[in-house]
Amino acid sequence: MSEPVRSPGDDRNLGSDDNGGTGGNGSAKPRPDASMTLITAVLERPLEPGYQEAADRRTAGGLPAATSTRTVIVVVMAIITGFLFAVAAQSLRPKPTAAATVKSELVSRIEGLQTHGATQEANIVALTRQVHDLEALELAQAGGSDLTAKINTLERQAGIVAVTGPGLTLTLDDAVSSGGNADAGNRPTGGFEAGRVSSADLQVVVNGLWAAGAEAVGINGHRLTSTSAIRFAGQAVIVDFRPLTRPYTVTALGDPDTLRARFEPSFGGVYLAQLTKEFGIQSDLSAGDSLSVPGDPGARLFVAEPLGAPLGNAGAPSVSTATSAPTTPPTTSPAAQGVPTGAETP
Amino acid sequence: MIPVLGLVVGLVVGLLLDPSVPIWLQPYLPIAVIAALDAVFGAVRAVLDGIFNDKVFVVSFLSNVVVAAFIVFLGDQLGVGAQLSTGVVVVLGIRIFSNVASIRRHLFKA
Repeated sequence: MSEPVRSPGDDRNLGSDDNGGTGGNGSAKPRPDASMTLITAVLERPLEPGYQEAADRRTAGGLPAATSTRTVIVVVMAIITGFLFAVAAQSLRPKPTAAATVKSELVSRIEGLQTHGATQEANIVALTRQVHDLEALELAQAGGSDLTAKINTLERQAGIVAVTGPGLTLTLDDAVSSGGNADAGNRPTGGFEAGRVSSADLQVVVNGLWAAGAEAVGINGHRLTSTSAIRFAGQAVIVDFRPLTRPYTVTALGDPDTLRARFEPSFGGVYLAQLTKEFGIQSDLSAGDSLSVPGDPGARLFVAEPLGAPLGNAGAPSVSTATSAPTTPPTTSPAAQGVPTGAETP
Repeated sequence: MIPVLGLVVGLVVGLLLDPSVPIWLQPYLPIAVIAALDAVFGAVRAVLDGIFNDKVFVVSFLSNVVVAAFIVFLGDQLGVGAQLSTGVVVVLGIRIFSNVASIRRHLFKA
């Protein structure tokens, strides 16, 4: 915008400027921007013209140009202004909505209950171990040491006790393209993404590992037993009603070489290779010497039956082989180990 | 200095009392704040210019706020409240910037 040339005052003198387009001295030719008086007035005279007029009046009357800034009315006005600012800031600040409050409360409740559940699980594990020790002690006193070995085998097969040994670790993760979404914690869109590991994939892989002769299988630290279920809820993989987060680490105990040799050509292995090839799902199969799978704290007694003839005279006649599931045959034959299905279809 | 103290007192009182603003008044609050800011900066500049006048300050303050609120009210009735609010903010914003620039020149000579 062209600066008006005839205005002698600098920026500090704008209050005394002429009023838009009406020239103070009529001889001046009209400004080139006379049609834009509104913008000119806004840009060139930001100060209230009233200040200059009042000052002029006061100087004409023999008073100092400026009044005091400490008059009552100014202070009152300042207080009102501060009050206005505070009130506006407080009432216009976006308030947390009711939904957000409820959500945070739910989150805290979920977290609290999860902690509680973890504590209870640890309790169960400790108590189970205690029970086992007491049972073993009882059996040893009753002279049934051969039964102890049998019970140990059965317990291992039923997945009640933690197992450590050599085995394979299979890590599954979503394809790279869909990984970002999962990391960001976006809400599931409802649509199925091809690059995500689904519960069906895990079921096939786990069943393949069982079939390859795995003695104990766990996913992300959850022991899979013959009654475990791998399900899909929304977009989350649920194992025994506990949601898992990616990556999914499947630990299968058994002789690593045999397991690998039998798993890779099997249906599960081929399926896994295809997942990797077609959808970019990341998988990694590695052997380990000392892998451990925890016991299933959710195991309950389903079936108890007397085993053979009652022992001796002092032994408890009701010594039973407890299995966590009716589907596990109470036998130690190695062939039976591959049979149980580790996963239910949802 | 005393007006500044008054400002602080007003802020504290507003924060402490936390009065609930009726819902019909809320659309006018931002405009009122902008208009008040304009009046305050204009007053500060007038003080530095040596032409401050308390009556002019009070009248300009009140008229700014009332006129700005009235424009927004009118816009709401006509269905162009948002556009008129923008217009008021633009005009007052330009004035605030100009006044602050002048104040800056007074204080820092730059």
